[in-house]
Amino acid sequence: MKLGSRALLLILQNAPYLLFIVLLVVFGLMSDRFLALANFRNIIIQAAPIAILAIGMTFVLLTAQIDLSVGGSMYLTASVLALYLTGIPWPIGLAAVLVLAGAIGAVNGFVVTRFGIASFIVTLATLFILRGIAMYLSNTRTLMFEDQILTLNRATVLGIPSAIFAFLVVFAIAWVVLHQTPFGRQVYAVGGDPEAARKAGLPVSRIVFACFVIAGLCAGIGGFVSITQIGAVGPKYGDQIEFAAIAAAVLGGVSLFGGRGSVSGTVFGAILIKSVQNGLNIINADPYIYPLVTAAIIFLAVAIDGLRTRIIERLERRTIRPLAAE
Amino acid sequence: MTAVPPAQLARTAGPSAGMTRFIRPILSEYFVLVLCVLYVAAIYPFVPEIVTWGVWSNILSDMMPLLVVAIGQTFVLIVAGIDLSVTAIISMAAVVGASVMTGNGGYLGGSALAVPVAVLAMLIVGLGIGAINGLSVVKLNMPPFIVTLATRMFVAGAAIWYVTFHSTSSSIAGLPDAFTGFATGSLAGLPYTVIVAGLIAVAAHMLLSRTRYGRWIYAVGANPKAARVSGIPVERTILMTFLISGACASVAAMMYASRMQTGSPIAGENILLDVIGAVVIGGTSLFGGKGKIVWTVFGVLFLLILDTSMKLLGASLFAIYIIKGSVILLAAMMDTLRNRILTER
Repeated sequence: MKLGSRALLLILQNAPYLLFIVLLVVFGLMSDRFLALANFRNIIIQAAPIAILAIGMTFVLLTAQIDLSVGGSMYLTASVLALYLTGIPWPIGLAAVLVLAGAIGAVNGFVVTRFGIASFIVTLATLFILRGIAMYLSNTRTLMFEDQILTLNRATVLGIPSAIFAFLVVFAIAWVVLHQTPFGRQVYAVGGDPEAARKAGLPVSRIVFACFVIAGLCAGIGGFVSITQIGAVGPKYGDQIEFAAIAAAVLGGVSLFGGRGSVSGTVFGAILIKSVQNGLNIINADPYIYPLVTAAIIFLAVAIDGLRTRIIERLERRTIRPLAAE
Repeated sequence: MTAVPPAQLARTAGPSAGMTRFIRPILSEYFVLVLCVLYVAAIYPFVPEIVTWGVWSNILSDMMPLLVVAIGQTFVLIVAGIDLSVTAIISMAAVVGASVMTGNGGYLGGSALAVPVAVLAMLIVGLGIGAINGLSVVKLNMPPFIVTLATRMFVAGAAIWYVTFHSTSSSIAGLPDAFTGFATGSLAGLPYTVIVAGLIAVAAHMLLSRTRYGRWIYAVGANPKAARVSGIPVERTILMTFLISGACASVAAMMYASRMQTGSPIAGENILLDVIGAVVIGGTSLFGGKGKIVWTVFGVLFLLILDTSMKLLGASLFAIYIIKGSVILLAAMMDTLRNRILTER
C-alpha cells in the first residue's frame, strides 16, 4: 500500500511531463508533420512571447503576489514605440520600451509594498489605467511598426531565430538569478513564509518590489518580441494575456500561494500550451475546440497537482502517527 | 501599566475629537454610499441630468445584472475564493436558454412550455458549472483562481461553439415575447428585473446575516482550519458559495438575454473586472472572512454612477478606463487606511 502510494506519487510528480509525452504521441500519430524538427522550431517561436511574459510572472507568483497588468503594459509600450520612437535604431527603441515597462512594474511594486494593498487589486487597476492611456495615445487606432522592427522577425543570431534567441537569453538570466543567487533564494523564502523571512532579517518589501520590476521588464521584452511577429497593434492587443501567462506558470508547477515553482517549469508550461494549439492546427481541428482542449489540459494538470499535494499530506501524516488505526 | 483601565487606555491612544469627526464617515459601513452622494453632488454642476429620472432608470436597468453577479461573487470572496467563470456562465446560460425557446427552430420553439423550460435550463447551466468549480476546489484541492480560469476558458469557448449548431449567425435571435417581457415589463411601476434583483439581494443578505449557514461562510473565510476543528462542514460551505455564484450568473444571463432579445455567446463578456472591482470597492476582502451584501450594492451603484456620469460628460472609452482604474485603486487605499485606523483603535 505504502509502496503503491509512492509509485503513484512519482507518477503524479511528473504528471505534466507525462501529459506532454502523451500529447506528442497523439499528435504524432495523427500527423507526421507534427514531430518534424521544423515544427518544433515553430512551436518555440510561437511560444516565445508568452514564455517570456510567464517567466516574469513566475517571480511575482513565487512571492505569492500576482500581476494582472502585463497585457496593459505590453499595449502601452507597443503604442509608445509605434508613435514616438520612430526613426531611431531599434535597439534604442527597445531600451526605451524596457525603461517604461520596468517603471510600470516599479509603480505596481511600490503601491503593493508601500500601501499594503492586495496585488490583485493594484494590478487590476493599473491594467485599466495602462490600457486607457494607450488608447488615448493611439486614438484606439491600429498602429503599424517600422520595417526595421518587422524584419527582426526573420533575423537570426548565430543561426538561431531572433524570437528563440530572445527567449533563451531571458530564460538563462532568469534561471541564474532565481537558482544561483542569494536574491533567488530570498524570493523563495519570502514566498514560502513572509513572516519567517521578515524575522530572518530579509528585506521582504524590497524583494517583492524587485519581482514586480522583473515582471514589468519581461512584459516589455515579451511585448517587443510579439510586435516583431504580428507587426501591428490594436486596442485588443495583449487583452487577457495575463491569464495565459499565469496558466503557463501554473501548468509548469508554480504555486499561486508562493514559494513553489521554477522558471524551467514555466517555460515548459508555455511550450505545452503552444504545442497543443500547434498540434490542433496541424491536424486541422475545428478552431472552436482550441480553447476547450487548452482549458481541459490546464484543468487536468492542476487537478493532478492538487491530488499530489493531498497524497503527500497523507504520506506525511502516516510517518507522524505510525500506530494510528487503519 | 498594570492598573490602567481599558477605557482610559483607549482614550489616550485614540484620536482627538476633531479627528474622530473626520474619520467617522470613513469607518462607517455606509462609506461607499456617502461617496456616491458626494460624487453625484460634485458632478451635478457639469451634468445636471444626473439627477433626472430618465438617467436613473437607465442606471438601474444597467445595474441589475451586474448587481446579481456581484452578489454571487460576494459569497465566493467571503470564503476566500474567487469565481472568474461568471462571465462564461452568463454566455453559456444565455445561448442554451435561447436554443430552447427561440422561435427559429428552438427545441421547444412555439410551445407554451418553452419559456419555463428555458429558464430552468439556464439555472441548471449555472448550477452545473458552479458545481464543477466547487467540487474541483474542495475535492480535488485546486486553487479557485485556476479552476474558474480553466472553466471560464472552456465554457466561453463552448458557448461560441454551441451557437454554430443552432444558428447561422453568431447569436441566437427570435426569443419569445413572454421572455423578452422580463426586461421591459414592470409591476406596480417597478421593472421586473429590479424586483428580481431586489429579492435576490434581500435573500442573500438574510442568508449571510441571519442564518447558521451565513455564520459558517464567514468562519470558513476567516480561518478554514479553525472552522473545520469547530465542526463546520467546510467543504459543503465552499461548494454552496460556488453554486450560489453560478445560479446568480444564470439570473444575470436571463436579464441580458431578455434585454438584448438574443442569446449571445459574448453577453456580459467584459463585465468580469467590473464585478470584482465593484465588490472590492464595496469593502469585501479578497482574503476572505469580510464582506456584506449591502457593501456590494453600494459598490455596484458607485461604479455605475461613475460609468454613467462619464458617458454623460461625453468622455471617451480611454478616459473611462483610466478613471475606473484610479477609482478602484483609490477605494483599495481607503480600505487599507480604514483597516489601519480600526486596528489601531
